[in-house]
Amino acid sequence: MAWNIDLKGLIQPFSALKFSVKQPYTLNYPVEKRQDVEGYRGFHLNTLSLCVGCGNCQDICMNEAIDMVEAVGEINPKNASGLVPRIDYGRCCWCGLCTDVCGPDSLRLESDCIYASEDAGSFLYMPKDQ
Amino acid sequence: MNDPVQDQRVADGTIKIFHGPQHPGVTGNMSMELDLDGETIVKATTHVGYLHRGFEKMIERRTAIQAFTIVCRICVPEPDPNEENFARGIEELAGLTISERAKYIRVMVLEMARLQAHYLWMAGQGGSIGHEVVPQWAVGERDFILDLFEQLTGGRVYHMYIYPGGVKRDLPDGFLDRLRDLLDTLERRLPEYDRIFFDNAGVKKRLQNVGVVKRDEAIANGYTGPVIRGCGIPRDVRRDSPYLVYDQLEFDVPTQTGCDAYARALVRRAEMDQSIRILRQVVDRMPAGEIQCKLPKHRKFKLPRGETFVQTESARGAFSYYMAGDDSEYLRRLQVRGPSIVHAYTLLEPLLVGAQLSDVALIMNSLGICPPEIER
Repeated sequence: MAWNIDLKGLIQPFSALKFSVKQPYTLNYPVEKRQDVEGYRGFHLNTLSLCVGCGNCQDICMNEAIDMVEAVGEINPKNASGLVPRIDYGRCCWCGLCTDVCGPDSLRLESDCIYASEDAGSFLYMPKDQ
Repeated sequence: MNDPVQDQRVADGTIKIFHGPQHPGVTGNMSMELDLDGETIVKATTHVGYLHRGFEKMIERRTAIQAFTIVCRICVPEPDPNEENFARGIEELAGLTISERAKYIRVMVLEMARLQAHYLWMAGQGGSIGHEVVPQWAVGERDFILDLFEQLTGGRVYHMYIYPGGVKRDLPDGFLDRLRDLLDTLERRLPEYDRIFFDNAGVKKRLQNVGVVKRDEAIANGYTGPVIRGCGIPRDVRRDSPYLVYDQLEFDVPTQTGCDAYARALVRRAEMDQSIRILRQVVDRMPAGEIQCKLPKHRKFKLPRGETFVQTESARGAFSYYMAGDDSEYLRRLQVRGPSIVHAYTLLEPLLVGAQLSDVALIMNSLGICPPEIER
């Protein structure tokens, strides 16, 4: 059987060497950080002055990640139940259905998404009041 | 005490090893039980079950709105065809009509997903044959597509964006321009991949005449995607039974006649060009209008009695969903049939017999096997 040398196929791959003198695309983390993306599905925010404590977010959550708990601090006078959502980040899948069904638009997702803790109990998260 | 089975294997001169469940051949956990005679495989048995989470039953126990967040998890590298299948099935059952803009946005998302899945495949195929450069490049360029997904959907991998009745969000400001710029970049870069990977003499040596699929079995056994198109059979759900607006778009169905891993690689490479071509048409023709039709509240969204069968072409083949409603807010039955189930059992087991141990990951990657969708 004749052995045909594929010269082009042998030489061409070395063209990748030209990239060795180019700047990398990667960021020098943690010195450089990537910009927050508007609309990213990160942690929950809940504006207590708007939340009416209806529990729609708890009802639609398919992971049962939302519990309605006693509110601490000043709340919306129309919040008859006195309850506000608390999120279990051990269960949440960040689908955003809870924010979709929120009538007064008090529950939202922010861009921030980095959290680390040795305490597993701290994954029961009270959304920031913003 | 002597193990009679072990003794027999020693007498045969073969040894049995487990290849996996974690190895570079697949994106997920799946193992192959291999009987080896030296480096040559004499018998291969597929073992799955490491990823079983019972998706079908989980979905049947949640309302149609709640369940849409689960379907994307059926396939990690390319979740969007599952979202499209589920949404289209619900729309057919409930008699919903979606707007032209939503259809175009869905096509855009599906083609971006196909493109990033092919980049991920390229990274896996390069990794499985010891090519160091292509995996780095391909994963990097896939990340540029994921950046756009992040802006559009709010998530990089699981988008949860294609929703019964339309899509969840409208396009952000300047998104189409950014997509156009990215397509220019990707198109400019693809010839570099040809030079270092697809035309590389070493890559050809590794991929040619490896994992050869028999053309007459391809149709009989229901192979789909690059596997059947690599046998010269131009089957593509987008062309054969068009959905969304694929019948209004111009694209070719690339085929190769080699039937081996290299033919499948060339099919995927040509599909990347076609995806870019489709995306350019979608960007140019994106209509204005609503993105979502009005849906009832999730507890009141009842699916009428009836059944439907929907198919979507993913990067790895045809995804099919059978769905049945029974006048309740839950699906009576959902069955998912991904392309990998035949590729991992009917095809892979005989294909590995006679192959070398070093080619196992290569062949698995070339067939585009995705274990989560087998264990749905």
